[in-house]
Amino acid sequence: MSEPPLRDTFGDYLVEIGKKNNEIVVLDADLSSSTRTFKFAKAYPNRFFNMGIAEQNMLGTALGFAISGKIPVVSGFSIFTIGRAWEFIRFAAHDNLNFKIITTHGGLVGEDGSTHNSLEDLSLMAALPNLNILMPSDNIELTEILNYTFNTEGPFYIRLPRGSFPKIHKAKYKFCLGKPDIIKDGKDICLIGTGYGSILALKSANLIEEQLKTSIKVINFPTIKPINEKALLEEVKSVKGIVIIEEHNIYCGFGSIIARIISENNPKTMKFVGINDSFGESGKREILLKSYGLSVEAIIKQIKKII
Amino acid sequence: MELSKADELSILTEILDIKKDILKMIYEAQSGHPGGSLSCANIIYLLYNKIMRINPNDPSWKERDIFILSKGHAAPALYVVLSRLGFIKREDLFTLRQYGSKLQGHPVKNSKLGIEISTGSLGMGLSIGVGCALAAKLDNTEKSIFVLLGDGELNEGAIWEAAMSANHYKLDNLIAIVDRNGIQIDGSTEEVMALEPLAEKWKAFGWEVIELDGSNLTEILRGFERSKTIIGRPKVIISYLIKGSDISFMQHTKEFHGRAPNETEYNAALRELEDIKTILIRGDK
Repeated sequence: MSEPPLRDTFGDYLVEIGKKNNEIVVLDADLSSSTRTFKFAKAYPNRFFNMGIAEQNMLGTALGFAISGKIPVVSGFSIFTIGRAWEFIRFAAHDNLNFKIITTHGGLVGEDGSTHNSLEDLSLMAALPNLNILMPSDNIELTEILNYTFNTEGPFYIRLPRGSFPKIHKAKYKFCLGKPDIIKDGKDICLIGTGYGSILALKSANLIEEQLKTSIKVINFPTIKPINEKALLEEVKSVKGIVIIEEHNIYCGFGSIIARIISENNPKTMKFVGINDSFGESGKREILLKSYGLSVEAIIKQIKKII
Repeated sequence: MELSKADELSILTEILDIKKDILKMIYEAQSGHPGGSLSCANIIYLLYNKIMRINPNDPSWKERDIFILSKGHAAPALYVVLSRLGFIKREDLFTLRQYGSKLQGHPVKNSKLGIEISTGSLGMGLSIGVGCALAAKLDNTEKSIFVLLGDGELNEGAIWEAAMSANHYKLDNLIAIVDRNGIQIDGSTEEVMALEPLAEKWKAFGWEVIELDGSNLTEILRGFERSKTIIGRPKVIISYLIKGSDISFMQHTKEFHGRAPNETEYNAALRELEDIKTILIRGDK
């Protein structure tokens, strides 16, 4: 059976958490059918606020909810929510408010094309102090991340894709903020992925390890910020090189954050697989991923360069 | 609310003292925004002392009305009013804008000091007010939310997004006040980015509009009284005020929007405020 899209899991989760916590309010910008917040709207119409196609005011309104003791959950497409309303988010981070931004359509969206892709959001968000930035790689991890987010005060940004990801975690998986999640052990080379990058990393390692006679470790890293540097360094201390895989521009993305930590503490060869400074274009997601460099082949090419 | 002659005199003299403190803070920091702090000092004073429900012993009192200073550059005026209520220590006022001071150039959220949220990037406050007003409705409280807007910041599109949503959600607990002093950094509001017909704009967005002479205490208080009687839609008080008010060489000019007075100017300004006070008191006798 194929996995449900992560936004479905998110929509169902909101209904559940909304039952337990009356302080949760949900805001959307005329995209509730896409983001799946319509489920919350149906269950708790008085706690759902459609703010129309006006992301700035949506985020500003959420600031007001947050200082009034509510827990605002703001949803929409990643690029519009983060891009258009960035400065309002800056204030949520600045005042360290209990504020949850959970967007869908992160990364390459497919047929809608370059205008709707979100390949810059991690850069925009990672520069904000106080903000927690999380990216799940499957539905199991998403539920864990949501549990953590709603049990922890503070500002959060969670980036979800439009579609579904295959399952890479077991049901008993526990999310730990900032810590590496080892999904495959190995000792020579380390692949570090986040979101869809983790899925590709695991696939690549399983496919090529025997053929290359190299032991490959695969780390899933759901936390973009704050990263537990000590735990990361411990996991990569003896590998020869690292390949980072992310569905984001490789300029100022997840890879840049990891590279700063590695180069400061234990420099080693690093390679980056992601979108190479492009906005993308229209097309089937599978084709776009391949043509813009997010593929098993691209990862294997980088592994071979390190060997 | 009607003010007795004696009440009016005591409020007017207190506002003059507030203006002196504002000037002293900015003069000592040699940095700040005198023009827009002086223009709305009386509005902020009246809100906190005659209009809003607050608890001087507890800035975080749950039932309090909420004030959002959207035009955050008027921070000195807010700080002085809060210090007179005991929320901010008087001696801290004169650390304005200095390294290590809690009183930054623009307000930073601090519950103990009675600062509800950080502001200063213009155009954000009305949206924040919409959120507070929706939350107050959700909690079935009687709280009112007051948002003080500069007229220049009405250039920001987010203000009009917020205006649209406040009417959509029928937020009659939201009261915006526009400091209509007519001057922004680069010059007159009508030259930089024309706002008029301003009242018609708010009306078209579904708001109840009250226009008043912001230099007249009774008129301001009546305006707020009237705003309370309007049910089912948000209200805006367009308050005609004077940039740099009460200081002859700071009035009606962009020059002191964001510049501190030098020593000569500072002393001259203080003398003018003293003179006004003397005349007021003499006139009363």
